[in-house]
Amino acid sequence: MSKSKQGIIEQDQLVQRLKARDKTALSYLYDNYSAAIYGAISRIINDEDVAEEVLQDAFMKYWDKIESYNASKGRLFTWMLNLARNLSIDKLRSKEIKKTRKTDDISNNVYNVESENLIHQNEESIGVKDLMKNLREEERKIVEMVYFKGYTQSEIADETGIPLGTVKTRLRMALKNLRSVLGVG
Amino acid sequence: MNIEEYISSGVLESYVLGELSEREIQEVEQMAANHPEIKAEIRLIEDSFEKLAFKTAVEPNAAVKEKLMAAIEEKETPIIAMKPESNSGWMRYAAAVSILVAVSASILAYTYYNNWKNTEAQLTSLIAQNQQIASDYNVVNQRLDKIENDFNVVSSSAFSKVTMKGTDNAPDALADIYWNASTEEVYLSIQNLKELSQEQQFQLWAIIDGQPVDAGTFNLTDGLLKMKNIAGAAAFAVTIEPKGGSVNPSLETMQVVGNV
Repeated sequence: MSKSKQGIIEQDQLVQRLKARDKTALSYLYDNYSAAIYGAISRIINDEDVAEEVLQDAFMKYWDKIESYNASKGRLFTWMLNLARNLSIDKLRSKEIKKTRKTDDISNNVYNVESENLIHQNEESIGVKDLMKNLREEERKIVEMVYFKGYTQSEIADETGIPLGTVKTRLRMALKNLRSVLGVG
Repeated sequence: MNIEEYISSGVLESYVLGELSEREIQEVEQMAANHPEIKAEIRLIEDSFEKLAFKTAVEPNAAVKEKLMAAIEEKETPIIAMKPESNSGWMRYAAAVSILVAVSASILAYTYYNNWKNTEAQLTSLIAQNQQIASDYNVVNQRLDKIENDFNVVSSSAFSKVTMKGTDNAPDALADIYWNASTEEVYLSIQNLKELSQEQQFQLWAIIDGQPVDAGTFNLTDGLLKMKNIAGAAAFAVTIEPKGGSVNPSLETMQVVGNV
């Protein structure tokens, strides 16, 4: 999936076309990136309708704010992912979601992420569980909180009492350990 | 801090996650600009997050894309733009014609309503003017009748004129009597008499067989005044009496007198 999905059009070229208000470029962007973005959103927001709403908002933002993307500061996908993450977190903290979440305390959930909770996975994608197998317990907790609840590292430090510096190094170690599985580097 | 420690602190992961403050971001970007290995490491971290996202991708409902593209289309399409489509083109023209007809009819209705209101107002004004003219005409006609009548009296040989001159009370006073001895008709023409108060009136007397006889009361007016019929008068005189007249003349107030 990753090869076909990440597409033939290079990100630089795609950015140029988006900045030129080319709607076919947006369509292409959606076809190739929506699943990766939606995965990130839906891991933070459990409600499918709300998650889809955030996905649409995110792509509206990509279209409207493409001028503010600066290629020299990072990859297009990083910009897209962070924007989607921020939208998701904002949505999560908005009143409408808070109500439904009250009975479902976040901090209790974070440590109970089991493979059966990791629903919606694509058939072709490797299970998150398999990915996480490569991580030590302490690293996995941090990755789960970042990935599944949209926590910032500072929030993880506050929530768990683990010093921020330790949270950061653990996330770094976790990502480094995942590189070989992900085929990075 | 050496490069190795800087990288292992996890600050670059925070940078890629967008969790740094503006100052920290500038610091990382400065470091990346100066140290190619930091730039390369950032690229690896971005790549890791990207690969991880694709590995854990979730296919959204197909309807989301439709809604997204429709929303963008809607946002960028001017609201009034009507794209004629071949299958419903005639409907659009029909609708356009209907609207045109409705708008035209409304404008015409409004215009004619206004015209009608204006016409109605003009008609009302003309009717009022007409009534005024008719009224004026009647007044003029009546005055003409009176003048004709007065002229007939004055010019008729049947009437004899008696000039009454001012007494010592009012030396400048002057009035005339036109008297038809056979029909006994008496007309008074005031030339010059003084103004009276509201409580007073002039009274005309005819002297018959040495006795004053009431010939009617009058106020200052133009033209001939028809007085009471008198037979066999030797003289006429005017006195000032209380309003309504007196049975006997107040001789001391006599204004004018004249013998037949």
